[in-house]
Amino acid sequence: MLSSYKKSRSQFPLWTLLPLVLTAGAVASAAAGNCPQADAVALEWLDKMSRSLRQVSYQGVVTLQRGKEMQVMQVSHSVHDGIVFERLTELTGQGAQVERGPHPVDCIHPGDRMLRLEALTSDDHCGIAEHYRFAVADSDAERVAGRYAVRIRIEPRDMYRFGYIMALDRETGLLLKSQTIAHGQQVLETTQFANLSYSGGQTAVNDTGAGGAKEVEDEIAVVHEAQHPGPGAVDDTHSVSRPWTVGWLPRGFAATDVTRDNNGRRTYTDGLTVFSVFLEDVNVEMRSGEGLVRQGGTTTYTRGLQIEGQPVLVTVIGEVPVNTARMVADSVNWVQ
Amino acid sequence: MNERICESLSALMDDEANELELERVLSQLNSDVELRQTWLRYNLAQSALQGDQLANRDWDISGRVQAALAGSATGVEPGVRQGYRQRIWRPLISLGVAASVAFTVVIGGRQLAGIENADPYRGEQSVAANPSPVGMLNSLGATALQASYGTQPVPQLQPATHTAYQDLAQQRLRRYMQQHAEQAALNSPQGLVPFARVPEIRE
Repeated sequence: MLSSYKKSRSQFPLWTLLPLVLTAGAVASAAAGNCPQADAVALEWLDKMSRSLRQVSYQGVVTLQRGKEMQVMQVSHSVHDGIVFERLTELTGQGAQVERGPHPVDCIHPGDRMLRLEALTSDDHCGIAEHYRFAVADSDAERVAGRYAVRIRIEPRDMYRFGYIMALDRETGLLLKSQTIAHGQQVLETTQFANLSYSGGQTAVNDTGAGGAKEVEDEIAVVHEAQHPGPGAVDDTHSVSRPWTVGWLPRGFAATDVTRDNNGRRTYTDGLTVFSVFLEDVNVEMRSGEGLVRQGGTTTYTRGLQIEGQPVLVTVIGEVPVNTARMVADSVNWVQ
Repeated sequence: MNERICESLSALMDDEANELELERVLSQLNSDVELRQTWLRYNLAQSALQGDQLANRDWDISGRVQAALAGSATGVEPGVRQGYRQRIWRPLISLGVAASVAFTVVIGGRQLAGIENADPYRGEQSVAANPSPVGMLNSLGATALQASYGTQPVPQLQPATHTAYQDLAQQRLRRYMQQHAEQAALNSPQGLVPFARVPEIRE
């Protein structure tokens, strides 16, 4: 790991990283000791990737390719005085803008926590390494948006999730490119930076530095303020008539937030992927059945059925295989 | 089950189905009890196998299961005609054998759940740590299988209008994708990028 820093032109003095590297290394080795199947180097990189979003300021252009369709967006991300501001502006399609912030750097969501090495220190669990296999390749051959990248190949250990090929900035750990891979090595979608520049964090997102979104401002169709539910926040999704549960989850998935037990939405993550379950009461007679839409790595599966005589509609949306969505929808039940 | 639907089911399980196969298998699953049970048992067996390998490192029933699978894959199962493409039958043969040991695995899993501290992220909301075959209700629950239970009238399944559900799924995608993206943007490592998957972002 140290050698990879030496190879690249370092933005930070090496000594500032040394304690982090040593601690991380020790924790990872301990984790790997208990978890022979875990790749300690890969886990260190995932940890670094997760932290990078709270450490570096950048702006750039990101593309999302799903089949023949490509979406292009401008992103800016600023970390200043312990606060993160983010903005995404679509340059194709709808042309919407999403803003998020102020988001304190020490606000860690469940998905982040699962990628941190601390999650692996428990004696009887190997965290994310129980659900995925990792292989790291670090060579000068891999470049994304002009940056040297470390490539991590992530393979699911069961059939309930997709695989990924990720490229991380060798210097900062930022996720530069991610491909979602289905069974049979088929690429479902690719997200990558087309260009990227780091800044010192002095530029707030609302200012417009080089590469900022000022030039497209007149064209923005709609501005959405992304949610940031704090601890104890209550989600305002529609309610259903009775408390309900999801009886089955693939291993390693946990709820992303706290919801009332009659809240119409539940969302789960394993650290790398996320899916949501929506339940609706239906007040009319309805033929049971199921429908499916797949877009890139995203599955939308809707199923009409009766649970204890009550007609309901269950929808699972997320970056998981169809079979997983169906299994989850199948396990929805009223709280007894 | 005809062989075409078998193949489609197998493709669904392996996530290799094309749109046509998916459509076929989903509409069949809705009306065919036998097929639905086959699908369910296969998933149970998979959960049990996988859970066993990962959670119970000292408890080698998976070896027995795999030995059984290896044994059966080489022999010819009764009722299985030779010459089918292997993709059609391999999961179903595995299913038969795995299902026969699934009971043991499930019982074992429950016992182990009592021994192990099952919460890997202490102080977190609980993480799914069990093969949890107990959750699957609706594939069996909404069918005529329940005819003999209780006093509730049995819901009669009509043939689903598949395109209607296709449209419904499309509508739900538009309605819910943004709420999903809000959560994904906070819990997956791509920042705000999940919002790019929302067909129409609302304020």
